[in-house]
Amino acid sequence: MKLNRQYYNVKDAKWAEKTSYNNGILYISKEELKKEIVPYTKNIKNVDFEIVKPGENTRIIHVLDTIQPMYKIKGESKQYSGYFGEPIKTGDGTTNLLSGFTVMESAPLPWETGSASSGLLYPRDAIMDMQGPISGFTPFSETINLVIIYDLEEGKSSAEYDDDIRLCGLKVSEFLASKTVDFDPDRVEEFSIDEINPELPNVVLVWQCQNQGVYANTYLYGHPIDNLVPTLLHPNEMLDGCVVSGNYVWPAFKVPTYLHVNHPIILELYKKHGKELNFRGVIFSRSHNPSNWHKRRSAEFCIKLAQYLNTDGLVMAWEGGGNAAVDGMLTIQGAEKRGIKASTITFEFGGKDGTEGILLVDDVPEADAVITGGSIEKTYTLPVVDKVVGGDVLRLNKEMGGYFPPSHESITFDTTTQLYLSGNQSGHSKLFAEEY
Amino acid sequence: MAKLKALYYINQFYAGIGGEDKADVGLQILKEKKGPALGIEKFWNDEMEVVQVIACGDNFVNNNKKYESILPEIDKILEKIKPDIFIAGPAFNAGRYGVACAKITDYVRKKGIPSVTSMYYENPAVKMYVKDNYIIQTPETAAGMRKALPKLAKFALKLAKDEKILASRFEGYFPRGYRYNEYHEKTGAERVVDILLRKLNNKPYRTEVPLRGFEIVVPAKAIKDKKEIKAALITTGGLVPMGNPDKLKQAFSVTYGKYNIEGIDTVEKGKYESIHGGYDTTIADDNPNRLIPLDAARQLEKEGIIKNLYSDFFSTCGIGTNVENSKDIGYRMAVELKEAGVNAAFLTST
Repeated sequence: MKLNRQYYNVKDAKWAEKTSYNNGILYISKEELKKEIVPYTKNIKNVDFEIVKPGENTRIIHVLDTIQPMYKIKGESKQYSGYFGEPIKTGDGTTNLLSGFTVMESAPLPWETGSASSGLLYPRDAIMDMQGPISGFTPFSETINLVIIYDLEEGKSSAEYDDDIRLCGLKVSEFLASKTVDFDPDRVEEFSIDEINPELPNVVLVWQCQNQGVYANTYLYGHPIDNLVPTLLHPNEMLDGCVVSGNYVWPAFKVPTYLHVNHPIILELYKKHGKELNFRGVIFSRSHNPSNWHKRRSAEFCIKLAQYLNTDGLVMAWEGGGNAAVDGMLTIQGAEKRGIKASTITFEFGGKDGTEGILLVDDVPEADAVITGGSIEKTYTLPVVDKVVGGDVLRLNKEMGGYFPPSHESITFDTTTQLYLSGNQSGHSKLFAEEY
Repeated sequence: MAKLKALYYINQFYAGIGGEDKADVGLQILKEKKGPALGIEKFWNDEMEVVQVIACGDNFVNNNKKYESILPEIDKILEKIKPDIFIAGPAFNAGRYGVACAKITDYVRKKGIPSVTSMYYENPAVKMYVKDNYIIQTPETAAGMRKALPKLAKFALKLAKDEKILASRFEGYFPRGYRYNEYHEKTGAERVVDILLRKLNNKPYRTEVPLRGFEIVVPAKAIKDKKEIKAALITTGGLVPMGNPDKLKQAFSVTYGKYNIEGIDTVEKGKYESIHGGYDTTIADDNPNRLIPLDAARQLEKEGIIKNLYSDFFSTCGIGTNVENSKDIGYRMAVELKEAGVNAAFLTST
């Protein structure tokens, strides 16, 4: 399987009468975008768009998902296969990508009491800053972001909002990326793991994603992964968008679609493929398995697939908090016991100075190569910003009755759980806990 | 500008007093610079000098009572010299020297004087004292002195000058447990693949998040001739003389009791009791020998199966005791027993 990714650098994005891409400039027509998404706005009153650029003193709030705009020009499937069509296997052919540019969704999803989003699994405000102390937590302080701001109809179900928001985001991404078809790319990269060097160790990524119902979900070829037992993906399927995020419960721990598609660990394994290792594939599993029995079965299936691939080493990575850590650690333990070496990356606890309580929710003695993604128990003060995209107030602490401070002002958090992507679970950032 | 002042600690061996046979000498204030204290100054570019070298026998410092007896002397030296830095070692993998260095470093640091010592990572003193002390990493043996000394010197000067101390991996001290969010040179993805490749290629690697770590304790070698066994009786079951004379804690122990059993063949009901806060002590109180099996041990002694029993039994309550305190209690027990020539112990727990 071979996939050519054609990258089209977006150096600037501007509003225009007509949407087009020319010489690194993306011209965007709001009216055209609105027309494109009409079929997917049954539960949405209105949408607006904002362009946010690197270097701006801007905060983006209520961030739901962030998408890599891409458009497949050759191959059997579409990009993000399973949406707007059949779930045809993707991952070969040619795909055009807007590089340095994202489509981001923002909406204050209602805090409900009687539905899937009640309890702890409610949509928490994800906050990101383009500048300042938390800008390094996300890759999107360095990209131009087209933010879709949704004004939701009242009284609809979580699932209805969720579907519309995602379909709009994917449609906008497709429409924008399709404007590249007549142009030569800035860069082309070929992705293939067909050639194996028998001298090198075989390595897989075990990528374990969240699934706890609506708003805490991951989609594989357009379908939630509720009943998924671990399965095997070709890394190119992921690069072409077979996994899409629908996860809004923990801003720190969720992994946006953009990072499934540009998965930093997959790209790193690709970089070393044929030189230091043979990249044999991605074992894709569901985290937050409900019982110890399910967790054990999931871990065993992951290991079984790794064994079929003659795996020498695996990178274990997961989305989510403590529950997911148990699934991940069981997989590491089982792998090591069967002679497959493992490493992993996770956020840590440890309090203000790293000495309070435990660092990990769960660990096993076999997990002896744990990379730190940074501690979530650190205090950060966000500065006053010139502009906020997404809303005038933050919505915090639902459990405590709710707290709604103005969104442009300075605010201090004693953990990073509200700060978008601070958990660093796909290894995208350089954030880590330094030892003193 | 006046040079900064360093006070330097070494053991009897580096002081040229003697080896193992002189390990019991007390605190010595040397008239000249010896050992590493002699070699270190050349790394300081005339910014700092060793103004005094002190030395002590390793066994002396490792005996708690003797150690405490020299503290007033150390206070006096500190008062007189007012050093800008205290340096001890390097002790490499020498266990008692390491503990001596770290113990005194810890003491001097608590007096408000910047302090540093230096040793090999397996030196037991590292785990005991690393939490708040700077311990610079060295190779295993003194053959690594040429590698170790420049690192120690550079760090000591920095500390004396009150310059910003960088992270463990840049300065070369053992991580003290403090962890702060910063940005690495490499992304998490790069590092998680790097470390896996190191594992796969059998290269040394180090986890960034330390394991909660149940340490593997290597058992002592078996004693070949049972007749050479000099055994101690130890329990974590909380057995004490009636009335708990040492006021041992019923849980969350920080110390242990030591009770003489010379001349008695059994721990009698009514004279001993268990104060353990975590189990029903009725049966233990009914026959205290079931916690401290003195009756059976005396029998072995009488039959000549073992040589003899240590004069006292040790007792503590193993409940809710954190690992650090447990290690400290165990270490102190072991030091006392080793000094008394005990080579085996019967350990009972509940």
